[in-house]
Amino acid sequence: MVESSGKLEGVVFVTDNKFSCSEEGQIAIQNAIKDNNLDRIVVVACDPSLHLMTFQRCTKHLGIDPAFVDLIDIRKWTMFGSPSKVDKDQALDNSKRLIEQAVKRMRLKRIIPKITVEVNSSVLVIGGGVAGLEASLDLADKGYKVHLVERLPTIGGKMALLYKVFPTNDCAPCILAPKTAYANIHPNINLLTNSEATNVEGHIGNFSVVVNRNPRYVDEKKCTGCGLCIEKCPAKVVDNEYSRGLGERKAIYIPYDQAIPRKAVIDVQNCLYFQKGVCRLCEKVCPASAIDFKQRPKAIELKVGAIIVATGFDEYNPAQKIEYGYERYGNVITQFQLARLLDIDGPTRGKLLRPTDRKEPRSVVMIQCVGSRDENANGYCSSVCCMYALKHAQIIKEMVLPDTQVYISYIDMRTTGKGFEEYYKRTREIGVNFIHGRPAEVIEDDKTKNLILKVEDPDIGALLRLEVDLVVLSCATIPSKGTKQLAELLGINLDGNGFFKEVHPKLRLVETNVRGIYICGSAQGPKDIPDSIVQAKAAASCVDSELRKGEIQLPEFIVKTKKTN
Amino acid sequence: MAEVYIEDFMSPGCVGCPAVKEMLKSLSEELSGEITVEEVDITVDTTRAAQYGIMSVPAIAINGVLKFMGVPEKQELKKALMEELERDE
Repeated sequence: MVESSGKLEGVVFVTDNKFSCSEEGQIAIQNAIKDNNLDRIVVVACDPSLHLMTFQRCTKHLGIDPAFVDLIDIRKWTMFGSPSKVDKDQALDNSKRLIEQAVKRMRLKRIIPKITVEVNSSVLVIGGGVAGLEASLDLADKGYKVHLVERLPTIGGKMALLYKVFPTNDCAPCILAPKTAYANIHPNINLLTNSEATNVEGHIGNFSVVVNRNPRYVDEKKCTGCGLCIEKCPAKVVDNEYSRGLGERKAIYIPYDQAIPRKAVIDVQNCLYFQKGVCRLCEKVCPASAIDFKQRPKAIELKVGAIIVATGFDEYNPAQKIEYGYERYGNVITQFQLARLLDIDGPTRGKLLRPTDRKEPRSVVMIQCVGSRDENANGYCSSVCCMYALKHAQIIKEMVLPDTQVYISYIDMRTTGKGFEEYYKRTREIGVNFIHGRPAEVIEDDKTKNLILKVEDPDIGALLRLEVDLVVLSCATIPSKGTKQLAELLGINLDGNGFFKEVHPKLRLVETNVRGIYICGSAQGPKDIPDSIVQAKAAASCVDSELRKGEIQLPEFIVKTKKTN
Repeated sequence: MAEVYIEDFMSPGCVGCPAVKEMLKSLSEELSGEITVEEVDITVDTTRAAQYGIMSVPAIAINGVLKFMGVPEKQELKKALMEELERDE
């Protein structure tokens, strides 16, 4: 490669170096610049997303414009584990071609003028779950104006549905409420619930965002959250959101007791007035005259300097795994549904009753990795299912039904987190049964509605036949609805599993391919609450580093092309 | 001889990309000078797109500088190429 590169037009000096990024390697580059009077450098090594800056910095004080330093990655052709790995000859050919292109590009390139632009010190946070809230509060406390956009009528995200959280078994809404309540009253946070970002233009420092505010049909300023409208509303519907299909709510509703903001919202699909033109009872009884059937979607334009995406995850729909009978058998539910049944604020007020006959189950099987670590569904490990299964097993055994037999049917128990292994050990000690294997299928007994499973457990060398009252599926976490559209809107990349892609999976976890747009929480990949919090704080810190100077130097083409576009 | 090095950022599912490709092909035949067009599939080479700050395809970089995002007017593209071809002479 050294030989062939030396023959390329414009190349004055070529050398090879084992560790170009080391101090010694950098000095070698600096010496080569001085000795040969070089003005443009191409480093042929590894991924520029990490190391280009190293070489730009080490040559800058010698008067070389960063635009005239390029790093091209040829290691990807040969590196162990690289998706682009090819055989040696092919790698050599590819590398020569890349070097040729880079040299040509560098030879013809000219200085890119830079423009200093003022940055807008407000930030858009998309997603009002625990990650989005943490990032918003961090930035708001630092003095930035934060627009927090949430698609649903209330903030809090999935955490509000969890009842308790591992490994401390704290009450989830209780430890979440200080954050939601603070976000609601923080002078620097503009809370936009029932809203979605529909258009984004611009660049770091100066994004222009259109947010569509969907109508609540209730004036947020007037509504006091008294609940009288809900009491009188005649339209009862299945609550698919907060009760995960196991409870009921009215067509006008407040999602749950601790909802923030505590304002009613009308579900148009089930409201008698919107569907049949009759009723309007809520309007008649509201003491604050807050009901407003004339509300229309409203687009508002925001100017922000940076964007944080924290759109979280959804639970995989296990009906796709027909062998487990979800949606066909009444007593097969998901872990999220179980959390709602166990919750004292849930549809059964904390009583564990199986759906078909509302009787307390005497035996429960939890099946792990439903839709995770499964080549036919999602290949990845969802990372939280082992822990929440343990949590629910503990709650059942210790708080709800101590005499009920709980089985966890698993491939591997993965409890890697602070205090998690101890939590697992404790779950074993309180008498939860662990079966090292998963059933091929679940069959329902027609008469009793009990469920029958056969599982082979190699640990005890036996084929077990279980007849249980309730089956709970630990489903994969998948990217939340609309992730793909949002990625297209923002121009940021998705990874192979459909989650937002970070610049580097080890070192630049919250940055995206677009400078000024950051990701955090489960939107980046399945993770638990502690990791989401840490990432949210990291994303807030990245925003702060970029915006705190008040101005930013950008290549002219970025400013111009983004403006004319 | 004057030279231009063009990076045509595209992706397989992109609607506007074939039009840009066609435009570049006809312009490189029409204009005199050494014009090299390199097609960069952003789904394969994501780092290069990120370095330019490209948010959508098609996008065109000329001699290492991002010049167009979206499908340009042919006249605009021609003008940009001419500027580059003439600057060395």
